[in-house]
Amino acid sequence: MPRASAPTRRAPSSQLAPPAVRQPSPAPLLPQALLERLLAVAMERGGDFAEVYVERTHSTSVALEESRIKSAQTGLVQGVGVRVISGGKVGYAFSDDWDEPALLRAASTAAMIAQGQGSERSFPVSRVAVPSHYRVPTPLSDVEVSLKASLLTRADQAARAFDSRVTQVNGVYVDQTRRIAVANTEGRYSEDTQDLCRMSIQVVAQGKKNERSTGSYGGGGRVPFTHWATFPPEDVGREAARQAVATIGAVDCAAGPQTVVLAPGWSGILLHEAVGHGLEADFIRKGTSLFAGKLGEKVASELVTVIDDGTVSSGRGSINIDDEGTPGERKVLIENGVLKGYLYDTLNAKLMGQRSTGSGRRESFRHLPIPRMTNTFLAPGNHHPGDILKEVKRGLYCATFGGGQVDISNGNFVFEVSEAYQIEDGKLGRPVKNAILIGVGPEALKNVSRVGNDPQPDPGMGVCGKNGQSIPVGVGLPTVRIDNVTVGGTQVG
Amino acid sequence: MDYQKLAKKIVQRATKKGASQAEAFLEVGRQSSVRVREGQIEDLTQSTSKGVGLRVVVKGRLGFAFTSDFEPSGLDLLVDQALKLAQAAAPNKLNGLPGVKELGRFGDTGELYDAAVANLPGDWKVKAALEMEKAGRAEDSRVTTFNAVGAGDFVSEVYVASSEGMAGGYSGTYVYLFAMPVAAADGQLQKGYWLDYKRFLADLEPPESIGREATRRAVRMLGAKRVKTQQVPVLFDPLVTASFVSGVARAASGNAVHQQASMLASLQGKRLASEHVTLVDNGLLPRGLSTAPFDGEGVPTRRTPIIDRGVMSNFLYDAFTARKAKARPTGNAKRGYNAQPSIGTSNLYLEAGTTPPEQLIREVDRGFYVTSLLGHGANPVTGELSAGANGLWIENGELTHAVQEVTVAGNVLKMLQDMDGIGNDLQFRGGTVGAPTVRFRQLTLSGE
Repeated sequence: MPRASAPTRRAPSSQLAPPAVRQPSPAPLLPQALLERLLAVAMERGGDFAEVYVERTHSTSVALEESRIKSAQTGLVQGVGVRVISGGKVGYAFSDDWDEPALLRAASTAAMIAQGQGSERSFPVSRVAVPSHYRVPTPLSDVEVSLKASLLTRADQAARAFDSRVTQVNGVYVDQTRRIAVANTEGRYSEDTQDLCRMSIQVVAQGKKNERSTGSYGGGGRVPFTHWATFPPEDVGREAARQAVATIGAVDCAAGPQTVVLAPGWSGILLHEAVGHGLEADFIRKGTSLFAGKLGEKVASELVTVIDDGTVSSGRGSINIDDEGTPGERKVLIENGVLKGYLYDTLNAKLMGQRSTGSGRRESFRHLPIPRMTNTFLAPGNHHPGDILKEVKRGLYCATFGGGQVDISNGNFVFEVSEAYQIEDGKLGRPVKNAILIGVGPEALKNVSRVGNDPQPDPGMGVCGKNGQSIPVGVGLPTVRIDNVTVGGTQVG
Repeated sequence: MDYQKLAKKIVQRATKKGASQAEAFLEVGRQSSVRVREGQIEDLTQSTSKGVGLRVVVKGRLGFAFTSDFEPSGLDLLVDQALKLAQAAAPNKLNGLPGVKELGRFGDTGELYDAAVANLPGDWKVKAALEMEKAGRAEDSRVTTFNAVGAGDFVSEVYVASSEGMAGGYSGTYVYLFAMPVAAADGQLQKGYWLDYKRFLADLEPPESIGREATRRAVRMLGAKRVKTQQVPVLFDPLVTASFVSGVARAASGNAVHQQASMLASLQGKRLASEHVTLVDNGLLPRGLSTAPFDGEGVPTRRTPIIDRGVMSNFLYDAFTARKAKARPTGNAKRGYNAQPSIGTSNLYLEAGTTPPEQLIREVDRGFYVTSLLGHGANPVTGELSAGANGLWIENGELTHAVQEVTVAGNVLKMLQDMDGIGNDLQFRGGTVGAPTVRFRQLTLSGE
């Protein structure tokens, strides 16, 4: 069974225990008095709402190439963004200078969006305790770089030892320790520390006829460095090598509609693309998503229940608070095929008369928060994964995946399959190269005909891009069968 | 603040503390942007930014750190971090900053800075964005909303200093307009997207024309449907061609080639396409968005044909890879302050042909004119391309109905051989990659 050998870390939907409350850490990023001063300046022309966002991110990255550590680097990025909302208008200014005059300048620049009279109101804030969905006792930025480098060396050796046809191994390890503070004129002030790490390994293999193939695998999350003891880098290297070797000599993919079976895990990007983005409240409010105005309607097969959950323990997309200070939440977006809810940030929630779902996220202080996903997954069904495969006469088994993309207006989404096999009489046949799936979100989800009882989160390597902002996300899916999916390929007839 | 001096000072501090070589890459910028919605400002953003990256070599080991903290304590920490990281890296005798031979004389870039952009008043952007929205709506009543309509500008300064004698800087301006309308009919939504991005205000397309074109591109997609799975001639519009040739250029990275991890690895000097196909990377293109006197490590930029009249002629190199592959650096080290240089393109373009795009369409009996692709493009190692495609169907040389929910697939090397028409409409549309309309003899389209 050509399944990704990802060790299962956690079930995606079992994290419903009440979260522990973290003690506020003693040293704030900026003095509270200064935060309050900035809020007062931001409101001096009479805005409706103001917010100060403070960020300090330490990051490390290590790269391996040709079995050597090519480079290691660390960096510090820090800055403050001030947002003022006046009516439906937003003023935003940010600065990477921390000195008081620069910050006050940013606050008065953002204030200009409001055209009112001078005001000298004050806006006291008080510190709010935040939940704790991830525990990283030793910040990743404090871990010796040589330990991080050795993960890559170990993965490289394991990948090369896996098969003599492996010709190249490239690896990257990245982590960050990101501290954020958010204070707003509603009096809320919260801080969070968000550690995050990821390792990824790319392998090139070459067959007898010099045909090249590639494999790629990785993982991580909001986890302490000890994670790598239970998710060994050797497994990562071997899995990337296995994919590359398995796809040597793959046959051309047949073009046209087919029945497809998706392996569990990272295949969850299907949901992320097919429905997730289309449910983000900015697209809904502006009427640019094909899911706008469809609350309560059937948009998927009854087997489909989609959940976005920012509270998954140690999940890559998990957030104690979003980048507006709202606690992360678990939201049912689609229940038994019926559209139940959208993903709201503060601004869109205000304009639409709703409440924020803790979905206001941003890449950094250089960006405005916008509605985003966290960890998005499909609730498990009743089918045994083995039976799902057995029932398919002819089709395509999609084992590992690249990325995806969606056009939220016409709903077209694609989903790149990096390792796929023909299915013949319920069994896996030859590997197929260069497959891609395309569909229109709601139609594809109506064709979901089997949902496995084997939910699996991805190993922790998802990056989602929207409006030029990249953020970490998680996805998850059990084994799923979808009928009549258009498969892109080169072979006709 | 004199940033050139500051960069030099950081280098001196690093060498004093034990670096055998050191290089500082410093960026300073300010930007401002506006978006409008329904005749009103939606948001206004203004900012300043700065940062410096420090690369050091200590006994053949490379270290790198970056910071946006320019306080003396922040810069001290930067130097210490970079030196510390060098200890974690493996020694490699090829490590080293570009030396006197590689640095050399800078070519002529022409003007990079437009005072009209640097001093652009805030309400110019508001007015331009409002005009785009108005023109977009006026063009066709089926436009019901916009994802975004906006304008912005950006002024940046770059300084590089190194222990090997590099000392240089330049400043540049950028200004852009974009419109993303959504058209609706019969329960279908279709988006349009059009933009312009230039260094000089005078080069920028008028807002009204951006708004109108964005609407035309949204409206013409209404009624889109799947077509049958088949092999037909396929045309790429200039935006789609630009993403296609970017994929070819990624495979021309000297590092991928050296690692045998590129579809182009063994093809230098071989014919890839007809003699009409010339793909060029030109860091000195007049008024180009990516034009600069030197690359991310101070090496002079230049014009490098990747495919020259159909023949695979040159790969792209930074200094390290060039040393490794015993080639010459081509001035293609790309970076921001927060990353080390890696090989990338500057101004990349497929040279224009002589045929008007209308004629390329007219010569096709049945075919597919692709106006947008979904997905991440070709695999640079294998050349396999499979992507979702939207566009217009061609019957008897005429554009007919819109097409969606199909894919096109092929192999890039085969597609280059199959490129049988190149339009005379080369354009840099909103980026550093320029291309005309092109036609492929045959691609597999997957649909019903």
